[in-house]
Amino acid sequence: MVSAGLLDATVQGLITGAVIAGGALGLSLIYDIAEVPNFAHGDMITIGAYLALVFNNPGEIPFLPDFGSVPFVLAAIIGVVLAGVLGAVYELAIFRKFRDNDADLITMVIVSLGLALVLRNAVLFLVGSKNIQYQTPRVITTNFDFLVTQTGLTVITTQRQAGELVTTGEWGYPWWLIVAGILAAVAVGYAVFALYREEEDFTTVSLIPPKILGAAGSIGTVLLLGVFARLDPQGTDYILGTQIGLNVKHITILAVVIVAMFILNVILKTTKLGRAMRATADNMALAEVRGVDADRVQLVVWVVAAMLAALAGILTGWFATNLTPNMGFALLLPIFAAVILGGISSPYGAVAGALIIGLSMDVGVYLIPGSSTYRVAIAFVILIGVLLVKPEGIWGDV
Amino acid sequence: MAVADFIISLLTFIAIYSLFGIGLNLKFGFTGLIDFGHVAYFMIGAYVTVVLTMPAGAAGYSGIGGFALPELFGVLGPIGSLFGWLLGVLGGMIAAALVSLAVGVPTLRLREDYLAITALGIATILTTVVNDEEWLFNGPFGINTVHAPLRDVFPLSLGSFTLNMAVFGILSLAAFGLTGYWLARAFRRQGRRGKLVLGVLVPLVAVWYFVLPTLSDGMVELTRNTLWLFDPTAGPKGGMDYDRFVLLLSVAALGGGYWLVERTINSPYGRVLRAIREDEDVPRALGKETFQYKLQALMLGSALAGAAGALWAINIGFIAPDQFAATITFYAFTAVIVGGTANNKGVILGTAFFWGIRNGTRFIDVPSQYSIQLAASRLMLIGVVLILILYYRPEGLLGEQDYDIPLPSRDSSGGTDDV
Repeated sequence: MVSAGLLDATVQGLITGAVIAGGALGLSLIYDIAEVPNFAHGDMITIGAYLALVFNNPGEIPFLPDFGSVPFVLAAIIGVVLAGVLGAVYELAIFRKFRDNDADLITMVIVSLGLALVLRNAVLFLVGSKNIQYQTPRVITTNFDFLVTQTGLTVITTQRQAGELVTTGEWGYPWWLIVAGILAAVAVGYAVFALYREEEDFTTVSLIPPKILGAAGSIGTVLLLGVFARLDPQGTDYILGTQIGLNVKHITILAVVIVAMFILNVILKTTKLGRAMRATADNMALAEVRGVDADRVQLVVWVVAAMLAALAGILTGWFATNLTPNMGFALLLPIFAAVILGGISSPYGAVAGALIIGLSMDVGVYLIPGSSTYRVAIAFVILIGVLLVKPEGIWGDV
Repeated sequence: MAVADFIISLLTFIAIYSLFGIGLNLKFGFTGLIDFGHVAYFMIGAYVTVVLTMPAGAAGYSGIGGFALPELFGVLGPIGSLFGWLLGVLGGMIAAALVSLAVGVPTLRLREDYLAITALGIATILTTVVNDEEWLFNGPFGINTVHAPLRDVFPLSLGSFTLNMAVFGILSLAAFGLTGYWLARAFRRQGRRGKLVLGVLVPLVAVWYFVLPTLSDGMVELTRNTLWLFDPTAGPKGGMDYDRFVLLLSVAALGGGYWLVERTINSPYGRVLRAIREDEDVPRALGKETFQYKLQALMLGSALAGAAGALWAINIGFIAPDQFAATITFYAFTAVIVGGTANNKGVILGTAFFWGIRNGTRFIDVPSQYSIQLAASRLMLIGVVLILILYYRPEGLLGEQDYDIPLPSRDSSGGTDDV
């Protein structure tokens, strides 16, 4: 039996980062293309989470008849779609009018603040402030104990079943396999990178940059080997040991966010609409001269951003197993930190920023004892530090 | 409760929050800095003043201090004690200014929207620190041993009942006379719409304050409301009670802050601040170190918020971290924008409008299980009003104020900076 350590905190940080990335992607689109520093984004997250709740667990909402529960996945999809409709409403009813008035950045900040007050208190008005849960199947966490011994690495998986800790699996990797695996991963990664690398000039737009494809190849190799090349345990007399708790939530959240990122990436890079969005981000007046319908682009931006925010909200509510009217506002600061850290003109930077913020929050809380209430503070220290060195953010331009 | 007492507590609120709002107006209205962390300086001012002035080893307090400044100077009598308290307030203001300096140096070089988010973040963190670190300022339990300056002097009595009634009554009537003169002057200067609004509102308020209580409770109420400074129930001979003193103190502080900011923005120095708001490159091209100007505006605005915090602590008599949530900043922004951004009179008007509505709706009777709904709908209304004002009347109720030295405008007719 070993205790959870740095590796577990890293996994937690990855999940936090993934959820923040969901919000940060949408915020960076709004920030860059609609030019609104959207302080209502946190409350758009809350609204999304509660929209899914309406269908998943209507009995908890006082003003609704209890019409039975829809499965969580279906409720989540309906919630995301409805949130997209609301995103169109924000744009059409509020932000388009202010843009037509040539409102400056400061005005947009205050307007989004007003919207934030309305949204958060609408939730409070309709649902009240109590903690609510989604109706979902119970999730069993599997603990992976990693033990480094003289002869290699031993993995023991345990689960808590009916109050008892049950060992469900035990296997290991000898040193030669680990070395071979690392070599294979490096080789595969470099091969993929070399295969897709091409001469770049400023017109090159690769759907996925070769560096990221290569890294994905390496990670895939490690995972495949880890799953299929399970050999005998290498003893339990460990030199170093650590534990990671994983369940289906972790994997689902990572998968959903990666898929959402990929879809957004495809839209931005391969469709005409995506090109129009990138052009509007670059220079709205020039884009309009070339026949881009800026109003349509802005509408799409708000719909997509609201849907991504709702997705982040639903995932947060599911992961943390409760929903409160303040859940989105609590995420707002880390999301802003991620977007500014990544450089507001790049959705990819926002994702990178989100991962850095998520990791630093959870790893920081692990490394500094007694700092669990200062998660957001850690994110901000990182943000201010980076801004002092590189005011344009880490990623620069798209 | 007499109407006069309700009005006194409401006016004290409005005076304190107006001082807070004037500090914000200096940052946001005149210099163009969106400080979403303004409430942090309110909190720092309140805490530092309270800790500097409270006696050491207070019961139920396990934080730093207190430093008992009023007792230290108390040997010189009540004036010395008051001086000690003023030193405490000064300490609170300096602490607020220094913290805003620490916040401003890294963030003011950034884009204006980055300042908004980093300031909000830092204010949230500071509230968390005060809430979680019990060794600092007693954590979530707050401080309930707030030193009230000159508390022993009140109720203030001048000798006999008749003398009290005459002196405080004449002072009360003088205050009404001043208000009346002031309203009449404002009425003459207004356009037709302004005249209409004033002509309807002022008689309505006068009827509510003077006539309605008389109809229901007779001449005693009328006397109490007219001679509002005089409280016949305070002590055996009547006199001025402490609440009325806190009101006068708050109004005096507001007057001081108002005068300070007016002098600042009407000076050549203030013209640079306004030029920074309009286009920072222009004053910089003329050789002004705009970064230092912005930093100084931030510090002065924060110091005023700190003074407001010190008054807040006396008025409530108890401070705790949850009184200083980020929403207080947003209320102040609403008040500034509703009244008129970059208009100090507008800030007071906006604050009165905002808190009048907010506290006035307390009288709406709802069943207690709907109290959350009432609070939520109030905040929703504030959000909607904020958006509507920004769309239909972005300059606020009063618009930008006139300056002694206007920025050069296209038609060079002087007046406001609106170009």
